[in-house]
Amino acid sequence: MTREILERRLHHLQDEVLNLGSMVEQSSVDAVKALRRLDVASAQKIENRDGVINRRRFAIEEDCLTLMATQQPMAHDLRLLAAILEVITELERMGDYAKGIAHITTLLEPSPLPPALLDHFDTMAVQANAMLHRALSAFVAGDVKAARTIPAEDDEVDRLFNLIYGELVERMIADPQSVDQTTHLLWVSHNLERFADRVTNICERTIFLATGEMTEFSASGGD
Amino acid sequence: MNITPTLSQPFVLPRASARSIEDAVETEAERAIRPVKLDIRNLSVFYGKFRAIADINISIPAHQVTAIIGPSGCGKSTLLRAINRMTDLTPGSHAEGEILLDGENILASGIDVVQIRQRVGMVFQRPNPFPKSIYDNVAYGPRLYGIHRRTELDEIVEHSLQRSALWDEVKEKLNQSGMALSGGQQQRLCIARALAVEPAVILMDEPASALDPIATLKIEDLMQHLKEEYTIVIVTHNMQQAARVSDYTAFLMIDDERAGRLVEFGTTNRIFTRPEKKQTEDYVTGRFG
Repeated sequence: MTREILERRLHHLQDEVLNLGSMVEQSSVDAVKALRRLDVASAQKIENRDGVINRRRFAIEEDCLTLMATQQPMAHDLRLLAAILEVITELERMGDYAKGIAHITTLLEPSPLPPALLDHFDTMAVQANAMLHRALSAFVAGDVKAARTIPAEDDEVDRLFNLIYGELVERMIADPQSVDQTTHLLWVSHNLERFADRVTNICERTIFLATGEMTEFSASGGD
Repeated sequence: MNITPTLSQPFVLPRASARSIEDAVETEAERAIRPVKLDIRNLSVFYGKFRAIADINISIPAHQVTAIIGPSGCGKSTLLRAINRMTDLTPGSHAEGEILLDGENILASGIDVVQIRQRVGMVFQRPNPFPKSIYDNVAYGPRLYGIHRRTELDEIVEHSLQRSALWDEVKEKLNQSGMALSGGQQQRLCIARALAVEPAVILMDEPASALDPIATLKIEDLMQHLKEEYTIVIVTHNMQQAARVSDYTAFLMIDDERAGRLVEFGTTNRIFTRPEKKQTEDYVTGRFG
């Protein structure tokens, strides 16, 4: 096999993307757990960890640029590097959503949160992380079939978001004293919903990587 | 229902071994502490009164590939040839300064030039096998150094051809002429010939410029394996090749007196992404040269 350096470094970069993805998964899971327990100390740790995620993203970006400058990647290799640059941007933003949830935990009054709502958050987090995990596996494997099917699972996250939105608006109307807390909780659901949306963007990059085709799955809203 | 979020199974990283990951992520700081194989100090080479290269200072690290790049006439080949004193072969030439090979100044008077050329091998632009068999091409150097036992020569020939990634292609036809091989094979034969005398440094002067793209990539990959045992210095007109194969890059340019001077030396990653000098930036981006 020729181009050993390029091959080895591309594989290393793919591994780094998976490592970054694992860190983002961990942060989002921990953030939802910290929210349930109103555990401010854990939440602050998650906020601090975001800096590590950001640094790792920049390191991958730098490696991509170095490979582009020194190894003259073409065709699939070039698309892979372009796709990695996009995917790590998505992951970094997803890390920001987890950090945002952790930050909200530090802002909330230490009064109990509605258990049913917390269960919905958990379900959204589980669903979004399962999507992320499979999307990154598909990205590394160049699995177009998986990349085309995963985005549909976002509908369930959107359904939960809409459900939570309705419940929280009702809560604000019923108890105007809770507007501050409820607004924060709306942001939690928003962050989880956007987290899952960005998985869809990763799937689009997998299709681009494998086929060169620029696809856009229907988005459920912007930031 | 409370579904407690838990982390998915860790991702499986099937392809890259731990070692290859370490290889791929050597930091600039780690590179900086590599031992120096060749320390070039204030080197100037003159052809008569004409100074071809002036005051070159480069510390070439061991077990790395160092590329010398620059526009035509900037003294790349002169610098390379000075490293095994091939510049001596040009009448009227002389060198000033020092080239320390493992701490020993190879420009010092009284040094054994033949021994220097054994320790510092050279591969040229055009493959130049001798009009002899493949076997005799590789055995030529060792015989010159007094090795005549057949079993020992057999071992050297096989080992050298294996290290130059040619063995599998020629092991059944060692008695055939080296001239009958393809251009890429001939170049790998010349590399095997250089390896047969156990050098420490291999100099390559445009080693792939006469080869097709596939043969070129084979030579480039071979260099990556060879650097584990040898220190490699390559001169190339092909800037993309320098970027692909080298760990360090030296950029030379001619000054107002038409003498080649070192503009910048550093890790290849840095030279091609964040050069410090504007002249280097202009050259690697194709703005001049």
